[in-house]
Amino acid sequence: MDWAFGLRTETLSLNQLLLYVYSRKGFDLIFSRSLLIYRGEAKKKKKKAKALLMDFSILTNAMSSKSYDKIATICDKLKLQVAAEGIAFQDEWPYAIHLLGHIYVNDINSARFLWKSIPEAIKESRPEVVAAWKIGQRLWTRDYAGVYEAIREFNWSPEAQGLVASFAELYTKRMFELLLLAYSTISIQDTALFLGMNEDDATNYVLQQGWSVDIASQMLTVKKLAIVTEQKLDPGKLQRLTEYVFHLEH
Amino acid sequence: MNLNMNSMESMVAQIQGLSSTPQDLSHLHSYLKQSEDLLRSESTRLAPLLAELDPAKHSLGYLYILEACTSVPVLKEQANELVLSVVRFINACAADQIRLVPDKFISLCKRLKEHVMLLDAPIRGVAPMLTAIKKLQSSPEHLTTLHPDFLLFCLLAKCYKTGLSILEDDIYEVNQPRDFFLYCYYGGMICIGQKSFGKALELLHNVVTAPMSNINAIAVEAYKKYILVSLIHLGQFTTSFPKYTSSVAQRNLKNFSQPYLELANSYSTGKILELQACVQENRGKFEAENNLGLVKQVVSSLYKRNIQRLTQTYLTLSLQDIANTVQLSSPKEAEMHVLQMIQDGEIYAIINQKDGMVRFLEDPEQYKTCEMIEHIDSSIQRIMSLSKKLTTMDELMSCDPSYLHKAGRERQRFDFDDFDPVPTKFNI
Repeated sequence: MDWAFGLRTETLSLNQLLLYVYSRKGFDLIFSRSLLIYRGEAKKKKKKAKALLMDFSILTNAMSSKSYDKIATICDKLKLQVAAEGIAFQDEWPYAIHLLGHIYVNDINSARFLWKSIPEAIKESRPEVVAAWKIGQRLWTRDYAGVYEAIREFNWSPEAQGLVASFAELYTKRMFELLLLAYSTISIQDTALFLGMNEDDATNYVLQQGWSVDIASQMLTVKKLAIVTEQKLDPGKLQRLTEYVFHLEH
Repeated sequence: MNLNMNSMESMVAQIQGLSSTPQDLSHLHSYLKQSEDLLRSESTRLAPLLAELDPAKHSLGYLYILEACTSVPVLKEQANELVLSVVRFINACAADQIRLVPDKFISLCKRLKEHVMLLDAPIRGVAPMLTAIKKLQSSPEHLTTLHPDFLLFCLLAKCYKTGLSILEDDIYEVNQPRDFFLYCYYGGMICIGQKSFGKALELLHNVVTAPMSNINAIAVEAYKKYILVSLIHLGQFTTSFPKYTSSVAQRNLKNFSQPYLELANSYSTGKILELQACVQENRGKFEAENNLGLVKQVVSSLYKRNIQRLTQTYLTLSLQDIANTVQLSSPKEAEMHVLQMIQDGEIYAIINQKDGMVRFLEDPEQYKTCEMIEHIDSSIQRIMSLSKKLTTMDELMSCDPSYLHKAGRERQRFDFDDFDPVPTKFNI
């Protein structure tokens, strides 16, 4: 879906427009903006027309195909391209998605720098951006339980919803793997905090993974996974060994 | 006036005509070099000529005219137009044509930098500068004058990740020493921002040990950061310089970094309170030199160092004991510290909450896996190519006349082997 669509709405009837809008799942941002234009906000149209030069199609495709790990790189590249053209992109830029993209791939450094570069006005007027950063902040300070709070306490917009839900799952898995690595015994209370569940759910979750529980002391015993190492060699290695010996001889 | 317009027209015609084959291009190049004065004198009226040329096909001519156009000082209002026109040229131009006149291209990019800074929007310069570097470089191993400008833009616009991409290329060719100093210094700062302290240490080490005839400010600042990064990454700092450091650096660098050396001394005692006192004392200086953030990271790294030191003495230790030894406030805090270190891969340990104990483990790496073999393989390949490069450089240098001249002069005495057993003159 390209931005030029916004400029063509004058020629579409309202019915056609609504049909188009409801048949696509994707950025509400785009749709709300195009509807605004249809409603004839002629004065703002010129300014928005310039902003519509940004081509978000790659980003929308990535979002709808759930390739969330690519979001951060796509956003970075697009932002630099747009900035080079001298377009004032700050008002229309999807900062929340951009921040969440960095958080998804655990690049909190880039998320921090992005947060620092956002203008104050945007921080004050867009609560979703602030909420997205809150998750990043909790990750930065290693407030493991706080991350879940930050995810749950905000009412995410539809386009961010999928990304946030996917991240929450990923984070729970990462936390579980950390517990496997770092603990031999751990209290039920702490496990619940780390996994972002209540104590019963947490206990059931880990019991399914093979852990054992001692109700009396409220302690869980971790079951380590057997380490699987791959040891297949291929003939290409022999070629490389020959190269090394040749190099050493000369 | 008319004469000049006619010559302008003929110039445009020449550019359009002579931009196809390499021989034509070299004719065009010499023609343009001769017309430089004319271009300079007409700089205010050159803008309409650009409309008749295609930046992709007539890059050489376009570059000459654009560079002359932009050489006049420009007001802030017009800076935006100028920046846009230069950016569009950089994106469209043909790399082989502009490589014929690297100096002009570089001065055009420098002007872009000035105006982007004037507009106070460094993010606008990041993408164009990267394209410019890729087009100007004769190979990814070549360091251009534009590299430090690009890294500076990345730092100012906070696009650290983009900067990292260019730092991954190994540099073998340097034209100007100043470019190299700035490149390594800014590169070090970008790596620090992205927390790859190993690479930062390497880059800062290059600045400090690079050959220099006079002490320069870049090396002084780099040395300060070098001390701090060395403490964070290696947990120690040696004040002795490697043999290949220039004597100028060895004598002077330490004089400018007194507070940092004091910090390194108190770090080596391992006592948190002493370190914090030292930081407090010199806080003003650290802040003024923009190093306070790094200094704070040094302080938090001391806790990690102390915990790591415990692994060398104990097999198991209680959380309470860890808290006491490392001077943390509670066993829970000690547990969180150990957990964070396990998460970052800085320690191998297992926490037992039931008994409140931590058991320290050996590095579980068996060096038997496929990944490890790949890793070792790629390292060996890199070393082999580096070794080949060194051999070629060595051969080139041994044929160099200035080297031979110097080597010949230093042979004061003849060794016994130098006497040629075969007589060179026959006396008949």
